[in-house]
Formats: sequence, structure tokens, C-alpha cells
Amino acid sequence: MRMNVTCKDRDRIFEDGSPAEWAAVEEHAASCPQCAEEVRAWKSLSVAAKELRDYSDSPLLWPRIERALSEDAARNAQGAGHRSWFSFLPAFSLAWQMALVGAFLLVLTISVGRLVIIHPQPPQNSDKSLLQSSALKEVENTEMAYEKAIDKLAAETKPQLENPAMPLLANYREKLLVLDSAIADLRAQAGLNPSNAQLRYQLLAMYQEKQRTLEEVLEAKPQ
Amino acid sequence: MGTMGLALPWKARISSLPRERGTRVESSEHLAGSPKPAAEEALSEDASLAAGCRSGDLHAYERLYALHGARMKNLARNILGNPIDAEDAVQDTFLKVQRSIAGFRGQSSFVTWIYRILMNTCYDARRSRVRKKEVANDDSEETPHFEPRAPGAHPSLRMALERALAKLTQHQRNVFLLYEVEGFRHAEIAGMLKMTETASKNTLFQAKKNLRQILEPPRNSAAEAR
Repeated sequence: MRMNVTCKDRDRIFEDGSPAEWAAVEEHAASCPQCAEEVRAWKSLSVAAKELRDYSDSPLLWPRIERALSEDAARNAQGAGHRSWFSFLPAFSLAWQMALVGAFLLVLTISVGRLVIIHPQPPQNSDKSLLQSSALKEVENTEMAYEKAIDKLAAETKPQLENPAMPLLANYREKLLVLDSAIADLRAQAGLNPSNAQLRYQLLAMYQEKQRTLEEVLEAKPQ
Repeated sequence: MGTMGLALPWKARISSLPRERGTRVESSEHLAGSPKPAAEEALSEDASLAAGCRSGDLHAYERLYALHGARMKNLARNILGNPIDAEDAVQDTFLKVQRSIAGFRGQSSFVTWIYRILMNTCYDARRSRVRKKEVANDDSEETPHFEPRAPGAHPSLRMALERALAKLTQHQRNVFLLYEVEGFRHAEIAGMLKMTETASKNTLFQAKKNLRQILEPPRNSAAEAR
């Protein structure tokens, strides 16, 4: 069946025409000088393109490629020894490798999470401030022990100090009043800043001094 | 539209040539020198080459070179402009094929995949060459300098076409070289350049229209030539 084409169909046929359409446009070109020129010029480009074909032999190229391929394969074989653990990876595409790494990280995260939930760490091992609180508690216990010991000594020395028979005992009483005042002052400051180690050392020194003074009072007791 | 190529020596000769469209050389055919293979035979050859290369068989690579080496070098030369860079690009392509053959999953044909690697290698080489020129403060243009080839039937036509091709967009140049020079079909080009067949046809049409405009002498000189 004959196909009728016009000048308007020319570009469409040049772009994607069937063999029948090409035959029709050439038939039309026989009676249309403009289309004849266009068809001829269009086909001439295809012919001219053949000028860019040069399939001449390159006798040295294959030996060069072959050597490069062999050397590269040998290098890869050496490298494969170092990464035998991961030798299965190249068999997967990059997307699969990324998915594998992602899955591994997910499993690792879940496992660590479960361990933390099932075996929670003691708070003192994980929190430095709790360790400090623990040390503070110890200091406070020591202070309480001192206070108890001092209270016992004070009870024993109370009769002598209330009615000092000697000037030495009067001096001790004055000293103990100064120490009590200093201890009260330091305890007030320690109450505001319980973690201040310097204050705690001073308070401990005051307790020790008071204890020693009370012991001296007992020793000064007339026989 | 005006007449084309009045200044070119090939006008008169090609006007009498029969239309090539129906008889165009198809993939690999003109290189192997064998009659047109059946589609299954081509597929089988493609699969066999891929399997051989995947197993690291050097003979498979040699067969690949025998079938496509000359065409690969020609394509590389038309992109890069000289035979030395073209041979380097072909060698790099073979090495890249060997290194990444394990990742080839057969989404496209093996040969299509190889030509895609070749074209990427060529354009990487071109970009690298431009960067080197920039470092050397060379202001010369990005387009490749085409070295003279062995004398052909129409050396002036070839040179004019090379200069005109350099003025096309990269996509248009690629499609023109693959279809008109190397004889690939649009379906194959679509696979190589990751485009649709329709886009390949349209790009070729635009490329040829632009080439006509570039090659067509100015109206005044055309009139003087008469």
C-alpha cells in the first residue's frame, strides 16, 4: 500500500521513520526539490561518519593489555590472602554489602542494649558523682565517731571543767570553748558545702584537737 | 533549509549513494567479518564472554579484544583525539572490567556494559587532561586536539566532521559516534548511555541537525562558490 507523506512529515521520519516511511519520503523527494536536498544532506552525514572509522590493526595493544591484566590479577591474588575473611563480600553488590553492614550494626546495638537492660551496672561504677557521695558518707561517719568519742570524754571531764581546781584546767576550759566555737563554725560551713574536702579536713583536725585536749584534762585530774 | 556542505568535496559523491538505513552495519558484524548472527547467537556469545571473563580466563579477554578491541579504540580515539590516549583508555577499560566483573549482574548485555565503562574512562581521561592543563595555566580549549590519521578517502571531510563534532554536546556526540560511526543500534546505545531508545533517536536527530548547521557554509560564501 502506498504511503503519502508531505514536507511536514520529513523531520519526524528523519528522527524515527520506518523503512516504509523512508521509502515514501524519498518518493516524495523526487518531486520536491527542497525535500530532495534535505534527504540527500541527511544521508550524507551518515556517509561522512564512516570517515571516522579507522579499524587498523594495533599489533602491540593486545600484548600490552594481556600483560597488564596478568599483573593486575597477580596483585589481586596477593591481596586476597590478606582479606580472606572478607572474600565473600565482592560476590555481593555494593547495596547488599551496605545492607549487611547495617544489619550487623543493628544486631550489635540490640545486643548491647539487652545486656545493659538485663545486667544494669552498679551506679557507683558508672557515676563519678556517686563515688564522691560515697566518700562523703564515709567522712561523715568518721566525724560522727569522733563526736561520740568526744561526747564521752566531755561527760567524764565535765565535773573538772565546771569547777576547775587548778589554773591549768581553767586554761583547758577556755581552749575547749574556742575549739567548740571553731567546730560549730566549720560544721555550719560544711553544711552549706558538704563536698568541700578542705573544710572537712579542718573539721577533723578540730575534733582531733578537742579529743586530745579532753584527754589531757583527764590526765590532769588530781589523784 | 539551505544546501549543505557546498565547500566540502563529498557533496556530489554522496548525493548519488543509496540510503544506508536499511542496510546499516549492526553491532559487531563488520568486525567479526561473519554473516549477521542470529539474536540468540549474539546473546549466547555475550553470555559466554561474560562467563569467561568472570572466571578470569585470559582467552575470554583475548576474544573480547578480537571482537571489540578495534572498535573500542576507534571510539576512544574519536572522543580523545589521539591514538595514544585511546590505547590507554582501552587498556584501562579492560582492567576495570577485570576488577569489577564480579559486580556485573547482567542487567544489560556484557558488551553494552563494557562500552559504558569505556566511555566513562574516556571522559575521565578528558577531564583529567583539562585539570592538568589548568594546573599548568594553559588556557587552551577543552576540546581534544585531533591528531592526523592515516590518509582516508576524504581527509578534509573527516577533519571538518571532527571539528564539528567537538562543538556538539557530549550526549549528542556520543550518540552520533555510537550510531553513525560504530554502527550500534538505538537499543544498545540506550543501554550504554542509560537513556531510553526514544531519547537516543531524538538525540541523534538533534546531533545531525546541529552538524548540518555547523558544516553548512554561510549563505554568502555559498553564493560566491557558485
